[in-house]
Amino acid sequence: ADRVLLKTPIAFGSHLPALGTPIKWVSEQLPVMSDNTLKMKIYEPGKLVGAKEILDAVSSGKVNSGYATAGYWQGKMPAAALFSAVPFGPEAGEYMAWLYYGNGMSLYQEMYDTNGYNVKVIPCAIISPETSGWFNKEINTPEDLKGLNMRFFGLGASVMEKMGVSTSQLPGGEIFGALEKGAIDASEFSQPAIDKLLGFHKIMKYNYFPGWHQQATVFELLVNKDAWGKMSGGQQAIVENTCKASMTNAIAEGESMQFEEMAKAQENGVEIRYWNDTMLNAFEEKWLEVVEEKTAADPFFNKVWSDLSTFRKGYDLWEANAFLPRTTK
Amino acid sequence: MEANEILVIAMFLSFIALLFTGIPVAWVLGGIGVLFAGIGYLADIYLDTFTGLDFLTLGLVVNRLYKIMDNWILVALPMFIFMGIMLDKSGVAERLMKSMQELFGNVRGGLAITVTAIGIILAASTGIIGASVVLLAVMSLPSMTKQGYSMPLALGTIASAGTLGILIPPSIMLVIMADQLGLSVGDLFMGAVFPGLMLGAMYIIYILVTGWLKPESAPIPSDAKPVTLATLMNVLKAVTPTLALIFVVLGSIFTGVATPTEASGVGAFGATLLAAYNRKFNFKVMKEVVAGTYNTTAYIFAIFIGATCFALVLRELGGDELIESFLTGLPFGPYGIIFFILGVIFLLGFFLDWIEITLIILPLLAPVISALGLDINGYGVVDNPELVWFVMLVAMALQTSFLTPPVGFALFYLKGVCPPNVKLSDIYKGVMPFIMLQLIALLVLVFWPQLILWLPAAAYG
Amino acid sequence: MNEQSSLPPVPLADSIDRAIQRIGLSIAWAYVLLVLVIMTQVILRKGFSSGLIVLEELQWHLYAVGVMFGLSYAQTTNSHIRVDLFYSSFRARTKHIIEILGILILVLPFVSVIFIHSLDFVHDSWRINEHSESPSGLPWRWLIKTVIPLSMLMLGLAVLSRLYRDTVLLFKGNA
Ligand code: NA
Ligand code: NA
Repeated sequence: ADRVLLKTPIAFGSHLPALGTPIKWVSEQLPVMSDNTLKMKIYEPGKLVGAKEILDAVSSGKVNSGYATAGYWQGKMPAAALFSAVPFGPEAGEYMAWLYYGNGMSLYQEMYDTNGYNVKVIPCAIISPETSGWFNKEINTPEDLKGLNMRFFGLGASVMEKMGVSTSQLPGGEIFGALEKGAIDASEFSQPAIDKLLGFHKIMKYNYFPGWHQQATVFELLVNKDAWGKMSGGQQAIVENTCKASMTNAIAEGESMQFEEMAKAQENGVEIRYWNDTMLNAFEEKWLEVVEEKTAADPFFNKVWSDLSTFRKGYDLWEANAFLPRTTK
Repeated sequence: MEANEILVIAMFLSFIALLFTGIPVAWVLGGIGVLFAGIGYLADIYLDTFTGLDFLTLGLVVNRLYKIMDNWILVALPMFIFMGIMLDKSGVAERLMKSMQELFGNVRGGLAITVTAIGIILAASTGIIGASVVLLAVMSLPSMTKQGYSMPLALGTIASAGTLGILIPPSIMLVIMADQLGLSVGDLFMGAVFPGLMLGAMYIIYILVTGWLKPESAPIPSDAKPVTLATLMNVLKAVTPTLALIFVVLGSIFTGVATPTEASGVGAFGATLLAAYNRKFNFKVMKEVVAGTYNTTAYIFAIFIGATCFALVLRELGGDELIESFLTGLPFGPYGIIFFILGVIFLLGFFLDWIEITLIILPLLAPVISALGLDINGYGVVDNPELVWFVMLVAMALQTSFLTPPVGFALFYLKGVCPPNVKLSDIYKGVMPFIMLQLIALLVLVFWPQLILWLPAAAYG
Repeated sequence: MNEQSSLPPVPLADSIDRAIQRIGLSIAWAYVLLVLVIMTQVILRKGFSSGLIVLEELQWHLYAVGVMFGLSYAQTTNSHIRVDLFYSSFRARTKHIIEILGILILVLPFVSVIFIHSLDFVHDSWRINEHSESPSGLPWRWLIKTVIPLSMLMLGLAVLSRLYRDTVLLFKGNA
């Protein structure tokens, strides 16, 4: 086959553990596995194109591939959020089960196809839960949340708004300053190992878990369909399977590095808290209201949501019986 | 040398050459980008290069342009320009400058020092250079001209004081650097405070010394009187409203009422109130302010837009790789490497803007610096102290790039607001001494890392 | 500030420029609106703890409108920044020739590239009725994206007007 160079702008810096490191790993594996007939050159965010422009750039063929997360496209296709992270949604194992062995993947591709995007989508990394956010006071009841200004992104923000929180979506770099000066009172961002890079532990007292809004996050490799069609069957298989291997690699890396950072944060005086049942129930109740609005507003969101929900109902029987309770805390 | 390396260098040289024809900077940047995309396309066919450039790829310019449009942080730029023009058109600025001059009595350089001081304060509320330079220039240039300041001194002061904002937090540059290297924004912000203030202090000392050695460059008004308690009270009365405005802007940031971006809007609103308070506000003034803001913001952004096209094509031609090859495998000791890198950044700063330099070289250099094994004291609090220190050195070198000819963005913005009789060569001449000061400051930071690292350690310890 | 008065008059070009300026000066009030939106957001958030993502987004929408349409206005006021080291000492005739060549070789290709590629960009957004990527953000994202081709059209027109002005002046030879 002809040699192929995938020029791949990425949505997360390749130095960011579990967020950006997986695609770097993929770019290192591809030439080795393909005996150099397949290369990937990654472009850090903004070098060729900004994170939110990746879908457009790949679909139009301005670049032949890109790495992002579908949540970025929820303004273009509301259902996209469901292929990225779902509040009170599946953990990584269940999520992958739905994607690979349920209808997940066919719906995922169908979303791009029916919306006229000329891309082939391949899940290429998955990470475990994010933290639920950083606060300067204890939150025991929904009352404690009312009136807070909080940085929150995506579907979770809609839930927080229903809880009486005023949300904003400051970019990563602005958050620390805004928190330090009190322009916002609280913020979520990502996993402990990433949050640490933003320095939240230096100024915030309480780090809340679990991240109900993002139990697992999927990242995608988008390949322009014309470019995909020109690749040989072998090359396509190499890309698909390297990405599949990357799912394993990403979650292993992510799982390996959080506890150390959490312990360090504790040493620095951060208190790690677990939402009480009242709070979790309140979040879930509001989330279901959000779902109701979304399913009513967008038929495809409804379709994906129903399929995912059906799968999860079936899975419940297994889930309720198969696992030991999490009793280490 | 490979064909695409020749193309990169040709692109640079054409850019510089066309710049001096006097065609607007923005259009030279954008046009050269388009031209060399075409040349890269032909080179792929005839010279066996592999740039991948074609008309379709060039379409990324639109995505990049949109990225500039939806950048919320840049909202601060028109707002500070609005504030500056409002203060100028309503006569508030002139009154402030006049009063401050009285405060300095018979000491020469009062106005220039005032500009530096306001520059420092502004720097603490924005990191957008274009905004500070324009605001300082419209506020102070008329007064300095009237008083007979030598043009180079006046212009050099404005340009340099206006660039302090990229160093003194909040700073968009430090935010991007922290993001690129996975450093804490807080550490970098705190680390930049002393270097920024030190630089400001060096400017002030330089102005005082110049006024003393060359009295004709910084004349005092003919009616200058020694400072008495009475003048002090008068000045205080005159400047209080304006100072109040400045403190409202800063205060809104420090008390968390507003984010730095929003504080710019608070400032614009406050300036309007101030104009009204001084009975200088009417529909005509408003129309002038609106038109001025519209015009000034546009020609500054035109440069951003041209530059984004230029950078895209330069990158696709292999400009990054060319610069990388300069910086890898250096046969020097640790400090030799540091000086070589800073030297390269300083030279690149003659031609490229900071964001390009940052995106190209910082991620590349971080592992190099970490591997040097330098023993930089982070007081056990600052993570990666050697990187924080090094980033601050880079930041200082990049701040200088705003001032170095021929492609000094602060110089361009200043040129934009100057009356037509002011020549770019006056501005070039004016910033030279300030560039020397920057280099001295850089040296000081190389040998006294504590100046950078002590504050973040104390603040977050 | 550089004023248009520095450009010698040419009837057709003058009327095009005046039209662009008139349109521009009404759009320019977006900045006053921007000041008010920021104040509202700050007061709502700090005073009533109810800041709105819509207002945050409206801020950059207004700013983007001001910036993009301003390009053509600044072109008609001859404000775009030049390195005038040598330029200022050129004869008028030389300046006309430089201006004409610069527009033909640099500016028009650049503006055309952005204009042409922006059409697909806007069309895609319109086709799927793009909304803010934040569920609580502003709808009609295609509207703000439409600003790109529209503002490029106006800039192109302003540039053509300048091209015409300099061509006329060059051949009239009133240097
Ligand atoms: Na600043
Ligand atoms: Na420079």
